[in-house]
Amino acid sequence: MSRSYKPSYKTLKPNPGGWISLLIIVVAACAICWPLTKGLIDAVNNATGGMFKSISTAASGPQPTLTVAVSPEKAELFQQLVENFNAKKLKAANGDELRLATVQLEPEDMIDAAIAGDFQALSPDSSIWLDQLDRQYQAAQNTSAGLVGQTVRYAVSPVVIAMWRDKAQQLGWPQKPIGWSDLLNEATTNKDFKWSHPSTSSASGVLAVLAEFYAATGKTRGLTVDDVKSPQAQEYVNALEKTVRYYGEGEASIARNVAEKGRAYLDAFVGSEQIVINTNQKPGVDLVAIYPNEGSLWQDHPLALLEANTLSDVNRETFRAFANYITSPDAQQLILAKGYRPADLNIKIDGANSPVNEKNGADPAKPQTSLQVPAATVLDVVRESWLANKRRTNVELVVDTSGSMEGDKLNNVKEALSTFLDQVKSDEERVGLIEFYSEVTDRVPINLLKNNRSTLVRAVDTLDAGGNTALLDGVAAAYDRLQELNDPSRINAIVVMTDGKENASAIKLSQLTAKLQQGNQRGVPVVVFGIAYGSDADMGPLQAMADATGGQTYAGTIETIRKLYKILSTYF
Amino acid sequence: MNRTRIIFFVVIAVAIVIVGIGLVARSLGPANNPIAPAQSNEPLEVRVVTALPIEAWITEAANQFNTEKHTLDGRLIKVSVVPMDGLTALNRFDSAAFDQVPTAWIPDSRYLVELANAAYKERNGRDVFLTDGEYRAKPIALSLFAWGLYGTRAKALEAKFGQIDWKTIHDAAIAAGGWPDLGGDPAWGFFKLVVPHPRKNVGGLAAMVAAAGEYYNKPNISVEDVTNPEFQKWLKELMGSVTAISGASAYTAEDFALLGYSVGDGGQMLESDLLANMGGIANRWQDPLVVRYPKYVTWFDFPFSVWMGSETSAAEKNAALEFQKYLLTKAVQEKAVGYGLRPVNADVTVDQPDSPFAKWKDAGITTVVQRTSAMRSPDRDVLQALLRWFDLNVAQR
Repeated sequence: MSRSYKPSYKTLKPNPGGWISLLIIVVAACAICWPLTKGLIDAVNNATGGMFKSISTAASGPQPTLTVAVSPEKAELFQQLVENFNAKKLKAANGDELRLATVQLEPEDMIDAAIAGDFQALSPDSSIWLDQLDRQYQAAQNTSAGLVGQTVRYAVSPVVIAMWRDKAQQLGWPQKPIGWSDLLNEATTNKDFKWSHPSTSSASGVLAVLAEFYAATGKTRGLTVDDVKSPQAQEYVNALEKTVRYYGEGEASIARNVAEKGRAYLDAFVGSEQIVINTNQKPGVDLVAIYPNEGSLWQDHPLALLEANTLSDVNRETFRAFANYITSPDAQQLILAKGYRPADLNIKIDGANSPVNEKNGADPAKPQTSLQVPAATVLDVVRESWLANKRRTNVELVVDTSGSMEGDKLNNVKEALSTFLDQVKSDEERVGLIEFYSEVTDRVPINLLKNNRSTLVRAVDTLDAGGNTALLDGVAAAYDRLQELNDPSRINAIVVMTDGKENASAIKLSQLTAKLQQGNQRGVPVVVFGIAYGSDADMGPLQAMADATGGQTYAGTIETIRKLYKILSTYF
Repeated sequence: MNRTRIIFFVVIAVAIVIVGIGLVARSLGPANNPIAPAQSNEPLEVRVVTALPIEAWITEAANQFNTEKHTLDGRLIKVSVVPMDGLTALNRFDSAAFDQVPTAWIPDSRYLVELANAAYKERNGRDVFLTDGEYRAKPIALSLFAWGLYGTRAKALEAKFGQIDWKTIHDAAIAAGGWPDLGGDPAWGFFKLVVPHPRKNVGGLAAMVAAAGEYYNKPNISVEDVTNPEFQKWLKELMGSVTAISGASAYTAEDFALLGYSVGDGGQMLESDLLANMGGIANRWQDPLVVRYPKYVTWFDFPFSVWMGSETSAAEKNAALEFQKYLLTKAVQEKAVGYGLRPVNADVTVDQPDSPFAKWKDAGITTVVQRTSAMRSPDRDVLQALLRWFDLNVAQR
């Protein structure tokens, strides 16, 4: 007889009562273990300063940082203040370190970036940008609440006309007060007078253009939209802007060129008192700050927290701690030493240690009066009018497409050129594209952007690399095109980029620089801006051409080339 | 080891693992959980949204309070201060835009509390700030609007017009030839009025209300008054002398001091702000400020107002009351005097020899304000009408 195995169903059959008992036992055990385990974890946290918290932080990312957008003219000072603050390694109430990081932006560019949440605080050159930011935010969010929150002032500087002392004396300074009308009169009557002001992406640029419109209307306050749009005011500003040498990145860049290139570069420019004080420290520089008798404006450098929903308590704490630091006596003395007027009124600016003095071209008792800053709507029209009336340009983009440019180098240049074209907003500008390799090709003949913008964009996209480097022939060809245009009413410029060494041109460097110098004297003045792209680029010829024409050179890398072309676009 | 013991130890081990994972996960979780009820041994957080004119005093008091480790029912009270202009805070209350509702609010004036309550009552049928009882909004300091002008400018105006009031300022504002027409220096340009931006600083609205009071020669202003075309024409001429409305910040007296007479010859500002900047102005500009008191006085009473909504616990509300009581103590009220504020504690006076009131009496500061007709706080319709007018006629000019 066989025996079949029969499982013991009785053994395997689930026993509900047993599982429930087990569950109850586990829950009871958890209840007992809870205080014991929590005590253990708390003890570990306390002993290690929050080991579990630091693990959490490490797992979730870097330490909380307050990112501040700062305008370029004070970037160096601000960075020093930030480094000093970070070195203190202050801690928030929750144990996080209070740290700041900075990002440099033109004030005008801060607005969109602030609304996009790219940073938590900003320090533009003037409060007028904070007002514009709030207006744009309110319109975008359909709210009456603003984005700009707590605001701190730590440094101020009046906007002045920075003028070489001999020129100021020619105009009657200091025996008589001089101002915008003297500057503007000189610009329109003296063809040798060279002056500059930044674009309206900065407060100095806005003030310069505002002053032009006030002068056009004969007013010093109560400027209206109708005043700005009047044909008389538009013609006046248009004629005046034709006398501007070129615009440039900002007052710091203009001042640098004044210091490097000396008296022949410019007679005057619009900038802050602080720039005058600092530039006068360079050998051979003797500028004075003219506080226009009609009125000036202040760069008040506000530091403002943005009340975004993402703002954390640690962000707030960091802001408050940094605000306390930059208004502390040590920081305020540093600010004074850099030529700013400190916000701490207890610090004398006419004291023995202050650089705000006559020797440095400044007057601590000035300015006596300001131009009235009109409402934001009027300012918008002022800035639009400037774009419509600013001095136009003829620009030849001269691009190296030799074999060494193959790959990422050329791809980045294509992006950079596209950025440049994007930045040149007006279709009334003339732009052409010349490429050089073993030969020179006039890829897109220079023409108004309204006629050739899309052709330029396509041509940039289809650039490819190969051959040698006929740099000098490329520049010579561009120069000839600009002389053929024969349009001195515009800024005529060549923006040339190379990544290597000249090895294929028919013309020699000495011949080319002579051609540039003589041509500029007899014909249309053309300025050469050179970009040495990468470590193999030969800066020598670029520098020689820039020097011969009063231009500038820049060293670019794959990472910075796009930014450089964007900077160059501000000159036009 | 028998099976029972094995099971026992396994169960204990499983329990420990479960509990441990849970606690570590809680440590790794978000730090802020506003919904989670406070544990009995955790500090009581008191977040105080504070009007800008008293922020420095309140912050100092809060830091001292925290250092002294005050407790309530065995729990430590921790006070944090959020500086915010009264109108900005009112907007946030109106639009429920606070990420974390404050435990208490100290606006510039009780009328802002009334406005906030009116909005909440309309929406939710209840007051969120009480006006009577233990938790009522209680003034913790006082200040008032006074004229502050650079000495040279005041001298010229008083010589020409006799006294400083809104009529004088209006006539100075419309002088076509600027300061030369007013007996002043041509280098001074046009007369420049200092007025805060009404959307950023409650003082801006208060200034327009005060101007209306003197225009109509009465302390109580209605919507009809502010919408009157003749008054609006007068007000527009007055506001036409403000130098930079678009750049005006919430910190008007500080700007006035920092940027000097080039942006403002004078204006009506908070007495405490003027006192805070008198020394700095004299140091920086060598042209000291003088102070004059208006006919109709606008008082600011900075009421400490406890939030009565369910977003804060009873313990937090009571902790806020503890801080309120602390602010009313003699020592803290004496500190307020140092900031140029007038105390509400009757045991504290402003005429101590080292007080700013004594220091600047030659500049026109008085310990007792002679003109005691107070401007009545405007109702919401008046404020809205003035703001609308401002937006259309000044901000958009």
